[in-house]
Amino acid sequence: MNTSNPSSAMLRSTVLLALLAAVVGCGKTPPASFRLNMVQATKTSAPESGMEKPWSSWARERQAQVATILEAMYGTPDEPVALAETGLDLAKLQLAAGPVRSDIVGRKNGLYREHCAHCHGISGDGMGPTAAFLNPYPRDYRPGKFKFKGTWRDARPARDDLARVLHEGIPGSSMPSFALLPPAQVEALVEYVRYLSMRGETELSLYTYAEQELGVDDVLPTTKEFLVDEILTPIVEKWQGAEDAKIPVAAVPANVDFTKPGDDPANQESVARGRTLFHGDGGCVKCHGVTALGDGQANDYDDWNKVIVEWSKEVTGGLGTPQDDAGRSAWLHAAADVIEGDALRPRTIPPRNLRLGLYRGGRRPVDLYRRLYTGINGAPMPGVGPSGPGGKGSVADAEIWHIVNYIRSLPYEFDGELGADRPMVAKDRF
Amino acid sequence: MTPPPVTATPVVEHGPAVGHAAGHAPQGGLSHFLSTYVFSKDHKVIGLQFLFSTLLWFLIGGLLALAVRWQVAWPWSDVPVIGKLFAQEGGQMSPEFYTMLFTMHASVMIFLVIIPILAGAFGNFLIPLMIGADDMAFPTLNMLSYWFMWPAFACFGASFFVEGGAASGGWTSYPTLSTNPASSPASGMGQTLWLLGLTFVGVSSMLGSVNYMTTIILMRAPGMTMFRLPMTIWAMFITAILQAFALPVLTAAGFMQLSDRMLGTGFFSPEGNVVNNAIAGAGGGQPLLWQHLFWFYSHPAVYIMILPAMGMVSDILTVFARKPLFGYRPMVYSIAGIAGLGFIVWGHHMFMSGMNPALGITFMVSTMMIALPSAVKTFNWLGTLWGGKIQFTTSMLFALSFVSMFIIGGLSGIFMAATPVDIFIHDTYFIVAHFHYVLFAGTAMGVWAAIYFWFPKMFGRTMNEFWGKVHFFLTFIFLNGTFFTMHILGAVGFPRRLADAYHYETFHHLQPMNAFMTYCAIGMVATQVIFAANFIYSMFWGPLAGRNPWNANTLEWTAPSPPGHGNFDYQPIVHRGPYEYSVPGVEKDHLMQTDPPNAAAAAAAAAAH
Amino acid sequence: MGKRLAGIFWSLLFLAVPVLGVATFAIAPAYDHWLPKDVSEHGASIDSLFYFILALTGVVFVVTEVLLFWFMWKYDEAKQQGQATYIQGSHTLEVVWTIIPAATLLFLAIYQMNAWADVKMRRPAMSPTVEVVARQFEWRLRYPGRDGTLGTADDLFLVNDLHLPIDEDVLVQLKSMDVLHSFFLPNVRIKQDAVPGMKIPVWFKAREAGEFDIVCAELCGWGHYKMKGRVTFEPRAAFDAWLERKYAEQGATQPPPEAADMAAAE
Repeated sequence: MNTSNPSSAMLRSTVLLALLAAVVGCGKTPPASFRLNMVQATKTSAPESGMEKPWSSWARERQAQVATILEAMYGTPDEPVALAETGLDLAKLQLAAGPVRSDIVGRKNGLYREHCAHCHGISGDGMGPTAAFLNPYPRDYRPGKFKFKGTWRDARPARDDLARVLHEGIPGSSMPSFALLPPAQVEALVEYVRYLSMRGETELSLYTYAEQELGVDDVLPTTKEFLVDEILTPIVEKWQGAEDAKIPVAAVPANVDFTKPGDDPANQESVARGRTLFHGDGGCVKCHGVTALGDGQANDYDDWNKVIVEWSKEVTGGLGTPQDDAGRSAWLHAAADVIEGDALRPRTIPPRNLRLGLYRGGRRPVDLYRRLYTGINGAPMPGVGPSGPGGKGSVADAEIWHIVNYIRSLPYEFDGELGADRPMVAKDRF
Repeated sequence: MTPPPVTATPVVEHGPAVGHAAGHAPQGGLSHFLSTYVFSKDHKVIGLQFLFSTLLWFLIGGLLALAVRWQVAWPWSDVPVIGKLFAQEGGQMSPEFYTMLFTMHASVMIFLVIIPILAGAFGNFLIPLMIGADDMAFPTLNMLSYWFMWPAFACFGASFFVEGGAASGGWTSYPTLSTNPASSPASGMGQTLWLLGLTFVGVSSMLGSVNYMTTIILMRAPGMTMFRLPMTIWAMFITAILQAFALPVLTAAGFMQLSDRMLGTGFFSPEGNVVNNAIAGAGGGQPLLWQHLFWFYSHPAVYIMILPAMGMVSDILTVFARKPLFGYRPMVYSIAGIAGLGFIVWGHHMFMSGMNPALGITFMVSTMMIALPSAVKTFNWLGTLWGGKIQFTTSMLFALSFVSMFIIGGLSGIFMAATPVDIFIHDTYFIVAHFHYVLFAGTAMGVWAAIYFWFPKMFGRTMNEFWGKVHFFLTFIFLNGTFFTMHILGAVGFPRRLADAYHYETFHHLQPMNAFMTYCAIGMVATQVIFAANFIYSMFWGPLAGRNPWNANTLEWTAPSPPGHGNFDYQPIVHRGPYEYSVPGVEKDHLMQTDPPNAAAAAAAAAAH
Repeated sequence: MGKRLAGIFWSLLFLAVPVLGVATFAIAPAYDHWLPKDVSEHGASIDSLFYFILALTGVVFVVTEVLLFWFMWKYDEAKQQGQATYIQGSHTLEVVWTIIPAATLLFLAIYQMNAWADVKMRRPAMSPTVEVVARQFEWRLRYPGRDGTLGTADDLFLVNDLHLPIDEDVLVQLKSMDVLHSFFLPNVRIKQDAVPGMKIPVWFKAREAGEFDIVCAELCGWGHYKMKGRVTFEPRAAFDAWLERKYAEQGATQPPPEAADMAAAE
């Protein structure tokens, strides 16, 4: 019952409590940093026989080399670098990069982190904190593949393709419309997406080079000739070529009138032709089903998920077999950990239900034309048009418009009450 | 109020001796320790167990609130401490994390702090003491009501660590956001654990309320008629009735939601409801059904969260104004009126919900009327102060601030009761301001008043008055800084639950005000360190208190501090109401409830002791 | 003496409540921290009801808080000689301060019923101008198309960019695709929850052209904060012209030139 000097004892307890709080609470978070593509990093780093140091430390060194090169070529999430050879606009990148803030002249920065990072990830890997809970998953920019564009299937998207996706969003997915952003901000974000994609492709290219060309004791070259000429230039060329790689859009045939709805008499002949092609040369019913409800085959993966699935099969298959040396086992276990912890769980890609009237790539006739012509890059959907300029597709260019007309009529095709043979169609859903 | 007959011989009346006031002799052994301090059936120990647990969760809920305030003031900036969880993104929190923060802040504060601290901590500790009983009617049930909180603590606590995080559908948990696992990250395990935790809290509350009602009705001391009960007890009694009648509806609704989520039923999901491209469930239900069931409980719940505080504040005001309570019976009737009307106003949470607008009119009328008993109570508090001799102790300051802040909270309620105005302010910060004023600036201040007031009875020592006043002053300033300007935000239409509101033209100039509010909130939470230090220090090293350090009237002040098993030296016998302060013709400025019926006898008794 | 000073200090602290409270409400409008601009026809009745209640509660607030301060000041123990006043209550006062607030509240309740009915109960007889379907996390819009009927193949589909004509009744058919949302137009004083499985009509008339926010006012998931839409009110002629432009774009068979791709979508 020591009641002497209660005030100073009180003071001591207060200070102690406050100190505890301060110790637990203090310290700023380090700045954001890019993540390596660990799936590709482990995939392309098989150990060789006769390695002197343990595989894990060798792999870490390799990854550190790649990280250093990437930082020199592309900078950090807070401070991007735009090499002249990439043709990227640094001012736009700086608008998009960095933590969210408005600087003194009333300009907004950190656009990517404000609008995109929590789904697409700080590295553009489609693995932001929110990504695991979305269906479909957000786009991983690193392979350089984009689904909804107006260029040839294997070409990169043009700037206006990316801008269009930002502007319209992707209906039926969690990608929202950014139509209300000022155009300058949309441009900055488009530039940043190209930057992240180029960076991702550079990373993949480095891993591939290391796997194919380097020996165990070799170090990745860091000369300008190698990095720019051999690694970067092919990537940049594809991106810059995208602006000129637009598919030709055939003239609309006379018996197609897109100003009228699909069930209008003006379009009857065209819709009938489209139906024939849908069930015939177009080859659509294999996946979309004769009902066009997307109930055909459904066991396929899109390319982003396919990588995980195939690599994971190799790993689990390899883990069971006897290992020829310790390095191999360490490699496979590391890969299994990466797949478990660092990759999103793979999902099959269901073929689209065409009766909903929800078109992810846009609902204008020209959008549907583009999807049919080249198919969807990265998805199992094949194109009915030629695969390159001067080629021949399974359906004539002009006839593709009839398929477009048929598809546009599908959501309104059924009549009668909702039931087992008449599932929910566009006019009920909306 | 006729006093019981005076017997011939002894001047001072005592009932038969019950129990002993001194502490029990230590008998050693683990089972003895467990049954005395852990699984105790003594209402005082249980009350203290509730008190410590809820104060700890108060801290957690407050820290969650700070994280919310941080994001609202500086969206997408590096959050202290929590930022480490988002190191990849440079410390900026993800949007679903924000939805989790405000959901869990509210859930923790409502279900794990306010309701248990009022009923579980103070109800348990005070009811037998204030009515002159030696314990509750069902001591084992009482112990279970505390231990049922622990599964709730575990469920809520564990939910932070499951995949997807803790529940993030708002504490109101509306379908189909909460019933569909694909609708949000936490709509998986997190939401299920939330529902389970809620069920446990509900069971705990039910056990408690049955106990309180029975005890108050059946175990009052001789002479303690219903209208001699202190307001604290009236409030606890009516609150217990509210709990008993309203809670089953929430429990049923909770089971229906669990069933929708886990068994594929469709109570709350319409047919063909597709969220985030997941397959639709059975359907055939209505989202609005949940809202009706939920608010049928949760509106009485808000009265459960304030009535006990009102009762305790009434008592504290009389003690430190040295005056009887102004309008005792009207005060009792008002509490009953609030409780009764509280059952027919739930639709005012649903004016914009899509329910039939005609119901908007009926609920609007009943909601307007429920302002009336609260107004009557406020006037009676003012009447209690008028003509008094006010002692500005820490407890009194908190009690006075309850009155002052409740006026603000109550008046702001009138805006949202007006349905046309509610069109604009529903789901804005005007609502947030209203309920923080009644719940924090009201109830929490009342709780602090009660802690400072009954601390001597609980622990036998008084808290430090100087630091208590510092605590009061800083809390008062900071809470008004944090919450008053929320009314202004609401007037602009600033919506609730937005992780970042500044990209709207209408709201982008409001960031500086929000930053100011967050600074005040940080100050407010930091101030509680002083309270915590004062509390902990005083528990062990505070100055010893006698039986009645405040010279109050009610029965608990006749017992030792702290009371032993059985509470009282002798069975108390009650001769008067609880508010006989400054009685003319009596030398002492207060007549305790147990003091003998006539003044001469009182004087002789005083001389004899 | 010290005790009296303390009493004065605490009383003045409580006096700060009404003083700063009134000051905050008085100063806020000058800094544009007040009700946003209202361009609707019915908004005036909502705003005037708000001001009426503000005045009423303001008076009660000031009177009660000042009384509280006054009692704290005057009945401070350090200032009072003798005993406190021993009074149990006053029947008269109880009656007075029950009847007067009851009458006031009842008056207030009846006074506002008309305003509510106008906004929520008296639906104009017309077909919908637009259907707004709320979805995680955007506002999907559907205009009836040239045939004037919703649900046919010529409907116009848009996202987030709502246009409406001024000076005429507008009927919005509000639905939700997935979870609860709420259609909140601050500058039109309109709010209505969008409930999955329900089709709820919302009607109003705008008096003035301009561009304003659409805000989601019911928690709908992690993206609740980014459900930003824009409503543009314009004269009927401009509205019709805009609709025509949008029909044409929806039927586009050629990709527009690069720069126009975004601008044309405005």
